[in-house]
Amino acid sequence: MADASLLRLEEVSRIYGDEVKVHALDRVSMSIEAGEFVSIVGPSGSGKSTMLGLLGLLDLPTLGTMWVTGKSVKELGDTERSRLRGEVVGFIFQQFHLIPHLDARRNVETALLYRNLTPAERRRRAMAALDVVGLAPRADHRPVQMSGGEQQRVAIARAIVTEPKLLLADEPTGALDSTNAANVMQIFQDLHSPLRAIAIVTHDPSVAAAAQRRISMKDGRIVADEQLVDAAPTTFGGTLD
Amino acid sequence: MRSIRDLIGVALSGLTARVSRTLLIMLGPIIGVSAIVAAVGLTESAKGDLQQDLAELGTNLITAEAAGSFGTQNPTFPEDVRDRVLALSGVESATATQSITGVVTAPYDAAATYYTAFPTPVLTADSAFLEVMQIELRSGRWLNDFDYNTGARVAVIGLDVANEFEYRAGTNRTIQINGLDYGIVGVYEPVKLVTNFNTAVLIPPLTADNDFDVGLETNTIYVRADPTRVVEVEEALPVAINLGGSDEVNTSVPSDALEAAAAADSTLQIIVASMGILALVVGGVGIANVMSISVIQRSAEIGIRRALGHGRSVIAWQFLLEAVAVGFFGGLGGLAVGVLIVVYASHIAGWTYVLEPVLVVGGYEFPSEFLGVPTIYVLGMGAALFTSVVAGLYPSVKAARLEPLETLRLG
Repeated sequence: MADASLLRLEEVSRIYGDEVKVHALDRVSMSIEAGEFVSIVGPSGSGKSTMLGLLGLLDLPTLGTMWVTGKSVKELGDTERSRLRGEVVGFIFQQFHLIPHLDARRNVETALLYRNLTPAERRRRAMAALDVVGLAPRADHRPVQMSGGEQQRVAIARAIVTEPKLLLADEPTGALDSTNAANVMQIFQDLHSPLRAIAIVTHDPSVAAAAQRRISMKDGRIVADEQLVDAAPTTFGGTLD
Repeated sequence: MRSIRDLIGVALSGLTARVSRTLLIMLGPIIGVSAIVAAVGLTESAKGDLQQDLAELGTNLITAEAAGSFGTQNPTFPEDVRDRVLALSGVESATATQSITGVVTAPYDAAATYYTAFPTPVLTADSAFLEVMQIELRSGRWLNDFDYNTGARVAVIGLDVANEFEYRAGTNRTIQINGLDYGIVGVYEPVKLVTNFNTAVLIPPLTADNDFDVGLETNTIYVRADPTRVVEVEEALPVAINLGGSDEVNTSVPSDALEAAAAADSTLQIIVASMGILALVVGGVGIANVMSISVIQRSAEIGIRRALGHGRSVIAWQFLLEAVAVGFFGGLGGLAVGVLIVVYASHIAGWTYVLEPVLVVGGYEFPSEFLGVPTIYVLGMGAALFTSVVAGLYPSVKAARLEPLETLRLG
């Protein structure tokens, strides 16, 4: 059954191990709609990392069905799943995960490879994305020449340069000091738009508080899924052009 | 097409990011290809002069020697042997000689004992000698009609004799043959096809008969044949010389030996080229080894690329292309080093270097060119590329199999 949700999980389980089965996710059903700002919270071992792998199309459900933009991901081969991942999801990691031997612009351009773009067009889009996070002047710096906050902003530029429908962040402020963390969270607020949903996996309550919806997990199940009325509504989104 | 260009860009940026490591693993293909190119090129260059000689000397000189039946002393040809041979169809020119035995040639009296032990051959020569041997005089003049008709004691000597006797062009010198003084009138250039002549003294037939009572009959005749009819002429010579008589004639083509020596020595080529292939294989193992480690070191990068939407096949191609690029540029470097070795070693050895060598493996001679490039370079590059593809297969499959979830350490 397909529907208009951006992402939809139905009775999804993710089980690791053959002899001793570990239910990292246990019959989870939920959906994320276009333009939502969601946080997924929970203690260690609650299954939120597994959830992140599934939402990011890096992993497949052991049981149950998952749809992304109406497509059942189990029916996709690696190439189609990779393409869908590249089109729909933009990843932001706790450890930034920039490619060390490439400068900021080339790191951002990496997300635009194999998309039939001319180098000039790729460069133009990468520079526009770096401009959104305020790092266009540092486009030729390598990751080692930048602070953690700057590296995370380059990673955000890399995530948004493909104009994904979902920004998927894994503890995006976990490796940053409070100033840089606030800075990054502000960028998330700015990037949130009706066309761009954001899902942040975190254990930090202040990060979760920025979201409009909070999904709480424990022992591989969703224990709470609540709309946060006091979250600041976002009225504008960052634009690339 | 743009995806392929993207892939090449990613592969090259991966290599240029680690220049010293890239250069190190390139050493394998460089050494392997240069060894192959140098091996084949040098074995050919070592013979380059021979081949050049062959082209200059021609392969149409035939030697016919008088051979008596068992027990015959000093067999000779009939006196009119040269006319008989020249009458043969396909014969262009001929010169007959008689080697004179039992004489001692020396620069002066006191040296006679030495030159008895190490004799210098003395032969008679007619006026066609230089033409048939296709050589020039180094200095002086050839035997003239006066010499031939009067039996004058004159001699023309080979370059080696001139050097040994320390003859200087333009000086009046004599040499002694059995104690008789002969005036040296000329020195001829080396005869490469019949090297015996280089150490010989040539005198007019009449003089030889007068002084040593050897008769005017000759025992060896050199024949230049129409190059397309050499075999035919060689077969006809014995009959033409003897007119069906009982005496025997042995014929040979001196250039045959030279041709054999100049033919590509495939055994040596194979041995040295095998070492090159061995170096390539070891180099390939090096590439596979280093790239496997590189895949582990770059597992985070691979995970990121997968998260950014690059499929497994794209990752596999990226690492395979890195290996192929190492093979390609290493191969090119190997060609350059190989050519340098051939040119420089040939220079040291005094050879004429051959950069388009003939390659013979197992009796099969490869075409000299492939798509306008000498075959050996095409084969060298092909071997380097093949090795790198094989070497890159394992690391690239390993890279493609990495699970991004495991390398990215989420949550």
